[in-house]
Amino acid sequence: MNGFAGSDLGGTIATWVAAIATIAVWSYLVGPRRIFVLVQHLLAGLATGYLVLLAIRDVLVPRLAVPLIERPGDRALLVPALVLVGMLIGASWLPRRATGPVAAILVGGIAAFALGGAVVGTVLPQVAAALPTTRAASPGLVAEVISLAITSLVLLAFLHGAPRGRLTTRGALLGRWLLVGGIGGWLGFLLVSRLSLLVDRVAFLLGDWLTVLR
Amino acid sequence: MTTSTAQAAPIETTAARLRRGAPALLLLVALAVASLLSGSIDGLRLASPDRSHGDQLRRAIGDLPSGALVLIAFDADLGTYAEIRATTRVAIADLAAHGARLSIVSFTPEGRAIAAAEIDRANRAGTGESLADLGFVAGAEAGLVRSVESIVPSAARGSTIDAIRERGGGIGAFDMVLIVSGSDISARSWVEQVGTRLPKLPLVAIAPTFLDPELEPYLRSGQLTALLATLREGVAYARAVSVGPESGPGRSVGPLPMLVGMLGALGVLAETAFRRLGRRGRRPPGRRAPS
Repeated sequence: MNGFAGSDLGGTIATWVAAIATIAVWSYLVGPRRIFVLVQHLLAGLATGYLVLLAIRDVLVPRLAVPLIERPGDRALLVPALVLVGMLIGASWLPRRATGPVAAILVGGIAAFALGGAVVGTVLPQVAAALPTTRAASPGLVAEVISLAITSLVLLAFLHGAPRGRLTTRGALLGRWLLVGGIGGWLGFLLVSRLSLLVDRVAFLLGDWLTVLR
Repeated sequence: MTTSTAQAAPIETTAARLRRGAPALLLLVALAVASLLSGSIDGLRLASPDRSHGDQLRRAIGDLPSGALVLIAFDADLGTYAEIRATTRVAIADLAAHGARLSIVSFTPEGRAIAAAEIDRANRAGTGESLADLGFVAGAEAGLVRSVESIVPSAARGSTIDAIRERGGGIGAFDMVLIVSGSDISARSWVEQVGTRLPKLPLVAIAPTFLDPELEPYLRSGQLTALLATLREGVAYARAVSVGPESGPGRSVGPLPMLVGMLGALGVLAETAFRRLGRRGRRPPGRRAPS
C-alpha cells in the first residue's frame, strides 16, 4: 500500500480514480490518443487549479493582503510588492514598457540568487575539495589526479574553433568520449529511477486497487 | 474505395498499434507477474551491500540531542517521489523514534502537495500530532534565503513552533535539516543558499537516483552530512532501521520486478546494437554511414 488513500469511502474513490487515470495513460501504448490527451488536459487543469489555490491561500492572502489590512503602517514595503503583483497579473493588458521592468526585476532577482549561490556554494567549495593535497601519501591523491585529468580532457572537448595541434585534437576526442561515457552513466541512473517508478505503479494497481498483492 | 477495403483499414490500424505497443505491454505483464512472485523468491536482494550511506544518516540522527528540532524540507517531485517514499517515511519514523521534534516546510508547490498528503497519512495513523506544519514558502531560492531569518508563519501555534520562535524563528533554530529532494529546490539549492549562510547546520538529504551524480560531490566535500540517493541505499537503510507498523513505509519496490525490468532494458540495448551491426553488414563496401 502506498498509504496515501485511507480505507474509507473517500480513499476507495481516490484509489479507483488513480487506477483509472493510470490505465488511461497506458492506453496510449495501444489505443487512440484521445484518452491520453484527455488525461493530459485533466492533469494540466488540476495543476493550474491547485497552483492558483495555493497562491491565493498560502501566499497572497496570508503574506500580502492580511498584513496590509491589519498593520499597514508596519508593512510599507508590501505596497510596492502589491503594485508589482498587480502589474504581473495585468501584464497581458498593460504596455510592454510598464511590465518589462517588473519582469526584469523578477528574472534578475532569481538569477542573482542562483548565480551567487552556485559560485559560493558549489564552484568554490567543489574546486577546493577537488584540489590535490600536498601530502604525497594521501590515499585520495591518485583519484584526485585522475579527476583533474578527466576534467581537463572534457574541457578540451569544448574548445570549438580554437587552433588545435595533433595532441590537443586527440585529447579533445578522448574528452568527448569521456563525456559520452558520463552521459551514458547518468542515463543508467535515470533508467533505474524510472524503472522503479513503473514497478511501483504496477504494484499500486495490483496491491492498492486489485488487492492481489500484499 | 470498396466497402471491404474501408472496413479493413481500421482493423489494420488497430493491428499496427497493437504491434507497436506489444513490447511495452509485454513488459507491463512481465513486471506484474514479477511483482506477484517477488515475495516468494529468496536469494534476490535489492538492498545495497555498501551500508556506508545509510550509516551516515543513522549516525547523523543518532548524534542529535534529546528533543532536537529537525526541519523536513519536503520538496520532492510528484513524478519521482514513489522511488524515495519508503525511505523518507522510514527516516521520519527514525527521527521521531529518537525524540526529535519535527517540522515540515515546502518551497515548491508540488512538494507542498506531497507534504500535505504525508501529513494527512500521519494524522490517519495517529502520528501526525508530532509534526509541525510550516506550510509553503513562495519565492524559490529567495524564499529559502528569507527563511534563514524567519520560517514560521505568524498564525502557526504549538509547542514545537514556540521552541522554534524561542531560538530565533529561522532555519538556524533547527539542529538538522532533512531535505527530501526531487524538484527544482533540491539539496543543491539548500547547500548553495542555506549551507553558505549557516555552515554549521547539518544537512542530510534523500533524493531519487537521477539526482545522485549531482549530489554525490556535496557529500564528498562535506557540504552534505548524509545522502541516500539510490533505491538500493534506501532499501538498505530501511532494513537497518526498525520502525513500528503504524509509521512503517508501506510497500516497497521488490527486487524481482527490478531485475526483470533491467533485463528488458538490456534486451532493448542489445536489439538496437544488433540491428545497427546488421545494417552496417548489409551496406556496400566503401560507403559511409549517413551522419
